[in-house]
Amino acid sequence: MQNIYQPYLAGIIDIRQETPDIKTFKLKFRDKEIEGSFNYRPGQFVEFSVFGEGEAPFCIASSPTRKGSIECSVKRMGKVSQALHELDVGDTVGIRGPYGNGFPVEDLKAKNLLFVAGGIGLAPLRSLINYCLDNRDDFKAVTIVNGARTSRDLVYKSEYREWEKAGDTKLHLTVDCREEDWTCMVGVVPRILEQLKPACRDSSAIVCGPPVMIRYTMPVLLKLGFCAPSIITTLEMKMKCGLGKCGRCSIGNLYVCKDGPVFSLEQLRAFQYEC
Amino acid sequence: MPSEKFFVKEDLYNKLEELSKEFEIIGPRELPNKGIFYQSLKNTRDLYLGEGFAIEPIKRFFLKPSEWIFDERFRENKNILEGIPLPADKRIIISVRPCETRGLTLLDKVFDSDYKDNFYINNRKRTIIIGLACNKPAKNCFCTSMGGSPIESRGMDVLIFDMDRGLIAEILTDRGRELFASIGEGLNEGQRRLLKEDKEKKKDLVEKKLSPPEGKELDKIFESDYWEDVSRPCIGCGICTYLCPTCHCFDLVDERRKRLRCYDSCSFPDFTLEASGVNPRPTKKERYRQRVFHKFDYFKKNFGENLCVGCGRCIRHCPVKIDIADIVDKVPGLKKE
Repeated sequence: MQNIYQPYLAGIIDIRQETPDIKTFKLKFRDKEIEGSFNYRPGQFVEFSVFGEGEAPFCIASSPTRKGSIECSVKRMGKVSQALHELDVGDTVGIRGPYGNGFPVEDLKAKNLLFVAGGIGLAPLRSLINYCLDNRDDFKAVTIVNGARTSRDLVYKSEYREWEKAGDTKLHLTVDCREEDWTCMVGVVPRILEQLKPACRDSSAIVCGPPVMIRYTMPVLLKLGFCAPSIITTLEMKMKCGLGKCGRCSIGNLYVCKDGPVFSLEQLRAFQYEC
Repeated sequence: MPSEKFFVKEDLYNKLEELSKEFEIIGPRELPNKGIFYQSLKNTRDLYLGEGFAIEPIKRFFLKPSEWIFDERFRENKNILEGIPLPADKRIIISVRPCETRGLTLLDKVFDSDYKDNFYINNRKRTIIIGLACNKPAKNCFCTSMGGSPIESRGMDVLIFDMDRGLIAEILTDRGRELFASIGEGLNEGQRRLLKEDKEKKKDLVEKKLSPPEGKELDKIFESDYWEDVSRPCIGCGICTYLCPTCHCFDLVDERRKRLRCYDSCSFPDFTLEASGVNPRPTKKERYRQRVFHKFDYFKKNFGENLCVGCGRCIRHCPVKIDIADIVDKVPGLKKE
């Protein structure tokens, strides 16, 4: 019987400094067989081991359509993420997963998609955005609203051009406060949504960002006519085991790690979860 | 169909002596000035067959307080992970209370479900359980309100009844039958009647009662101030969770190159504290409510049973006398019979 707590070994093959405190790690499994069998859906996460320091959950920020490696973007925060930031290309880490339900990709097909992201919250959405762009014909219009505190805090800058060039895809960037040389929008994400007034017909909104952004974004989306089942978010909690056993991430009788982390606003309301 | 056997204590001690060549024998032992503890018995005559209750549950023989999961090593310029070989030696745990074994059947639902914990499952498979029906439940016991009873045999291979003139063993599984093949004799008519009467009597021995709320009803008072009131005395020591036969929350931690799975507790503030500083269960209110809801609401919704066997340990050993049975019984605004 397999040891469910034992990770696969993976090597860091590239590190990209996204912002002063966020790095994207590109990982390749040491075992070719694992590399071939590691299938995941956008929105799933892995437990990331830095040996000697511990394990922490991070969403997979790459798209399953782009094979050969996986990517995780990590903000320098706690014990594991700090240790991770000290690592170099060539170092070995542990990966356990993939875990969680991921985004309901099948339900999103043939719909207009509105992505709403704040800061590092773009990481799980990036997986789905790139998945959609790689299967462009399966989805209708794609609108991305991406905000950050300052322009320095915007992640995945190197991909914006590709997203803008993709067919029927719009990217709106915003920063919280006015900056010199900044030509895109200014204002917090919920405000920008109020200005942009994205159409709600045949649409789903996929939202991820800091709790405060999510809290103020939900009512705006509802006002714009999005219904609760078509507003989707992915929750963050201290998920230790990823297996629905260790008891940390429960909300109601569900475990964020096993039954989530992706939930619709309708589901969150059903178990009295306050965004 | 269970069969029964009658023998005297001396026969049992001798049998255990014989079995100890093949099995590790674990059972309660009375330690002077300390209490009763389940231990590996070097001398099988140390086995305690009295009415007292062990301080710790048998949980730790299945779910170790700290389980060594793997080693990370560096060999020939390469990182490798080395799994820990699972112990194969067979064990007998004897004189186990019915509530404890029920606790294991509940832990099975967590660790032997979709993602299977091989450490736990291996420990379960290599262990034969011989129970002892309770002659005298303690004042904090409330097993009958949790679907158990002093004579409940679920999860056991053999259940022993301590009668005045000897012991009667109810053999429940093939493993148990094999073990007890050469000890005692079948019951005569009189003994059979005695056992029946004894069972009838023991069924109603437990005095503490509570009416557990149905899951859906507890939902309604999630936000109630009641949780703040009842958790006020709590000092967050976590003893209730460590001594609970069913509490199983754990942490995964690295110690140098070892990874360990260790007991953790929902009553500790840092249990859910995130690196960002956010804590979804910031005060005792949320933490104690989590314990009650996990036991009497969430687990019931997920697995159909309360995650509590009514052993009373958390009440007996709480330094501030928090009584979970009383708290659940007095939940406000719920229908009472």
